[in-house]
Amino acid sequence: MAYAYLFKYIIIGDTGVGKSCLLLQFTDKRFQPVHDLTIGVEFGARMITIDGKQIKLQIWDTAGQESFRSITRSYYRGAAGALLVYDITRRDTFNHLTTWLEDARQHSNSNMVIMLIGNKSDLESRREVKKEEGEAFAREHGLVFMETSAKTASNVEEAFINTAKEIYEKIQEGVFDINNEANGIKIGPQHAATNSSLPGSQGAQQAGGGCC
Amino acid sequence: MNFIRGVISGQPAGPQHSGVETIQKLCDRVASSTLLEDRRDAVRALKSLSKKYRMEVGSQAMDHLIRILQTDSADSEILGYALDTIYNIICSDEEDEQEEMQKQVDDVGAQFTERFIQDPENITLLLTLLEEFDFHVRWPGVKLLTALLKNQCAQVQGIILVSPMGVSRLMDLLADSREVIRNDGLLLLQQLTKSNAAIQKIVAFENAFERLLDIITEEGTSDGGIVVEDCLLLLLNLLKNNSSNQNFFKEGSYIQRMKPWFEVGDDNAGWSAQKVTNLHYMLQLVRVLVSPVNSPGATASCQKAMFHCGLLQQLCTILMATGVPADILTETINTVSEVIRGSQVNQDYFASVNAPSNPPRPAIVVLLMSMVNERQPFVLRCAVLYCFQCFLYKNQKGQGEIVATLLPSTIDANSISAGQLLCGGLFSADSLSNWCAAVALAHALQDNLTQKEQLLRVQLATSLGKPPVSLLQQCTNILSQGSKVQTRVGLLMLLCTWISNCPIAVTHFLHNQENVPFLTAQISENLGEDERLVQGLCALLLGICIYYNDNSLENYTKDKLKQLIEKRIGKENFVEKLGFITKHELYSRAAQKPQPVFSTPEHMLFDHEFTKLVKELEGVITKAVHKSSEEEKKEEEVKKTLEQHDSIVTQYKELIREQDAQINELKAQVASMTSQSEQMQATITQQLTQIQQHKDQYNILKLKLGKTGDQSASQGEGAHVNGLQSEELSQLREELEELRRQHAQQQTQLAEQDTLIASLKSEAAHSAEAAEGTLANAELLKELEALRAQVMSQAADINQLTESQELLRRAEAVQSGPGSVDNGVDMARVAELEKQLAAQSTEAQKLQEEVKGLNASRAGMEADLASATSTAAILQAEVSKLQQEVQESKKEQDDLLMLLADQDQKILTLKQKLKDLGETIEDEDDLDSKDQSEDDEDEEEEEEDDE
Ligand SMILES: Nc1nc2c(ncn2[C@@H]2O[C@H](COP(=O)(O)OP(=O)(O)OP(=O)(O)O)[C@@H](O)[C@H]2O)c(=O)[nH]1
Ligand SMILES: [Mg+2]
Repeated sequence: MAYAYLFKYIIIGDTGVGKSCLLLQFTDKRFQPVHDLTIGVEFGARMITIDGKQIKLQIWDTAGQESFRSITRSYYRGAAGALLVYDITRRDTFNHLTTWLEDARQHSNSNMVIMLIGNKSDLESRREVKKEEGEAFAREHGLVFMETSAKTASNVEEAFINTAKEIYEKIQEGVFDINNEANGIKIGPQHAATNSSLPGSQGAQQAGGGCC
Repeated sequence: MNFIRGVISGQPAGPQHSGVETIQKLCDRVASSTLLEDRRDAVRALKSLSKKYRMEVGSQAMDHLIRILQTDSADSEILGYALDTIYNIICSDEEDEQEEMQKQVDDVGAQFTERFIQDPENITLLLTLLEEFDFHVRWPGVKLLTALLKNQCAQVQGIILVSPMGVSRLMDLLADSREVIRNDGLLLLQQLTKSNAAIQKIVAFENAFERLLDIITEEGTSDGGIVVEDCLLLLLNLLKNNSSNQNFFKEGSYIQRMKPWFEVGDDNAGWSAQKVTNLHYMLQLVRVLVSPVNSPGATASCQKAMFHCGLLQQLCTILMATGVPADILTETINTVSEVIRGSQVNQDYFASVNAPSNPPRPAIVVLLMSMVNERQPFVLRCAVLYCFQCFLYKNQKGQGEIVATLLPSTIDANSISAGQLLCGGLFSADSLSNWCAAVALAHALQDNLTQKEQLLRVQLATSLGKPPVSLLQQCTNILSQGSKVQTRVGLLMLLCTWISNCPIAVTHFLHNQENVPFLTAQISENLGEDERLVQGLCALLLGICIYYNDNSLENYTKDKLKQLIEKRIGKENFVEKLGFITKHELYSRAAQKPQPVFSTPEHMLFDHEFTKLVKELEGVITKAVHKSSEEEKKEEEVKKTLEQHDSIVTQYKELIREQDAQINELKAQVASMTSQSEQMQATITQQLTQIQQHKDQYNILKLKLGKTGDQSASQGEGAHVNGLQSEELSQLREELEELRRQHAQQQTQLAEQDTLIASLKSEAAHSAEAAEGTLANAELLKELEALRAQVMSQAADINQLTESQELLRRAEAVQSGPGSVDNGVDMARVAELEKQLAAQSTEAQKLQEEVKGLNASRAGMEADLASATSTAAILQAEVSKLQQEVQESKKEQDDLLMLLADQDQKILTLKQKLKDLGETIEDEDDLDSKDQSEDDEDEEEEEEDDE
């Protein structure tokens, strides 16, 4: 399918905070109640629309376990967006945010958009981290913040889409060098076609190829 | 320096130890010399000795060389020599020359590799050196790292994986403009990604797919050289057994980019060995994405993509092209097989592909011809069988079509059909054809009760004059004739598949009196090793006859068959023979994957799907044979109730599903009808307003016409005060009303003042002392009289106005009289129209036509309108005259008001005078306050009027 832009995301955060569940909810609209430890990284993708433009999200869900940390680091540099996730029912996952953020800032390109996510908002009775605390942390570190539930799907779409909107705005402002794929952004074939001298014929060809 | 030159030019003639000495000296120099040039020469010398004295250089110089890498990083030349030397130490290029030595040589390499990577920092150092762009450093660096990976793959991979940006740096090699480095970078990445999923994913994340596909395109795809092959091998490494990367590959729309690879065309211009290799790997890549071992969902989405981008179609073109080398053709068939396997859309497409022969024949038929043709290569025949199996896998429609070509009612005598070919293969003299055809036919029956029953109808004409015989019968006939093992195994697998889970087929099979004795004889006999598999299959067939028996044949009920086994074979013996199947050495191999792959034609014995059937039935048949008939009966009952239960549940499920579908359908209907009705409503409203507009215009025109036609001038005057003018009229009327009200008010005020004056007068009369007071009173009276006269004249004016207003009203009545009648008629008509509209849109059209008619008459009327407009102008002038009159009366009213105000003032002065005269006025305060409140009320009223 043709897209205007392609963004690469990573999802990071302690083990068990619900990174894989967030991705699964976003790509498949499903919830997985058992903890399936992620080994290394897993890939997922989905198309979204922003400002009337098709945007392809390629998402790498990383393993939260300490032993995979060095592998995870290989993914920072090439990502345009990161979802940094903690679990609102486990304070330790919130306390580790600083370490995660340091790691991310050190290894990523400086323009990477980071979205802070307090997951498992459906478990209100077991909450250990107040929403205000998450907001304060985000404010202090210049992040976007949101509480989500991978179980009820609350705010899951928004988390991924709002991150994309931030990146999109940065592109419009000219902050991102979109021609350098190492930034985790790629212009789609659709977009490239409109830049060429014969957009009409190109588009027609593409459409023809797609239907037969 | 001299001795170095000696070493390099003239080979050391002396014994080995002189070389060792030289190496020692060189090492000392490398370690101790403070001059870069000296060190450089020494390392160069070591390099030249490193092949011949590999062991010695390795053991003595390794550490020194590593130190050079650490400290002399500024000089690319010395770095290059050092890297080359280490490379020579850890891997020998002379492997080919000394085949026997190879094992030992490898040991040396492994040993030095071990030593080099003992300190992981050395690998990190090497990775840093690779960032150096200088060719002298980068190239040997790439080669060295490749060699290290070759020798100690997992360990080196582990170190690279944890060093920051390690993989990323190596990926940069693909962007190097120097081809040698890019190509050797490919080899490095091949080693790096070998069976390490984590690294494979990082390499993919670093845009490897994009870059590799670009290189393949740049190099001319399959016509490209070994670089293309290397790219393909790397792609295979990245995708094989890596579902995450496969998903990324699919989601990145890279499948679409594979399609042009297979546009090889019909020209046999060249099938170089490299091209064959390239295409082979390209086909492998396609297969990796749709492999039956992948998750069904992943395979299905790739299959879909391959159909949509035309890749499957392109592959089918190769399938039907001429001049394609046999091994490419074979691999293409295998690839097509997996691209269509279990995908209805792709299977349907495949069924529609025709070979470009004359007349065109279905590709399936052409392929089957090869399968039952002895002269075709074995692997090709296996590939065709696989293709046929994949075509029928989960494809009830396809199964039905194949079986239909054998049925008497649908048989087409004029062309070769798949069914004919299969029957031909089944009974040919070639055992391989027998086996393939039997298995192929079994796949047409897999999990398909309908086709199992349909196939029972197939009759064969054996020889002239003899009555036709059923296909089932013919199979058992051949079986009993004692043909080759392969043939009998094939037929037995077909029979087992056919009658399992199909009681009618079991009955058909048992109906032939010879079948059961044949089976019992086969099983009970003590035959050789070769016959064991056949015995096992016969036991399975007999077991199926028991398990799926519906007791409809008196001689062969479950019980009777079991007794027969007990008597003729023995239960234990039977079970043991049954076990021969799974114990066969080739069984587990076939159970692994669907593709029929056999090392030799003789090994072609088991079919993958059949192994599943065996697994399913072996246990239940063993149980069934061991069980007593009473137990069986009980179980039967339990089974029946369970089945009933199941069927009830299934029924309900079915019902729910149906209702669900119905609900959905209805919902869709409702949605579409709602939108339709909305649309209709909108049209109706539109038409209604149109009609209303037309009607209004019509009415106006009619009115105008009517007025000009037969109404008197005075009536016309009134009648024309329509539309805009009627508005003005009502305004005028309102003003008149207002004036009248004010007039009335003023009159009451006057009356009040009169009484006040009267009382004042009487008071004045009572006071006898002051003549001045009477005089003043007289004066006042006079003024009052004058005022009264003025009020009188005003009242007359107002009356006049009222009259003119009355006149207007009458005129209005004249105008609205005929209009309202008309309106009544039209209202009725509109109501009628509305009804008609609501009922049917066709009538709405009729109405529209009516409107059109009205339009036409309107056009006629428009002419009359012109004359009417002039009359209207005259009327307008009169109206403005009226307006003026109203204006004037308003002015008079204002004057009156002024007078009243004066009067008030005068009354006040009078009162003051009275006071001055010493007259105490009774209720003075009361009167004052009364005046006050009246004034307030007036003000309030005025305010309201303003609003
Ligand atoms: N109630 C609730 N449970 C959740 C939610 N998200 C995840 N979980 C549960 O939390 C557990 C961990 O979820 P995962 O998504 O596998 O965690 P992860 O962050 O991917 O963990 P690693 O792969 O080890 O890094 C699972 O048992 C999920 O069912 C949520 O929003 N609400
Ligand atoms: Mg996970």
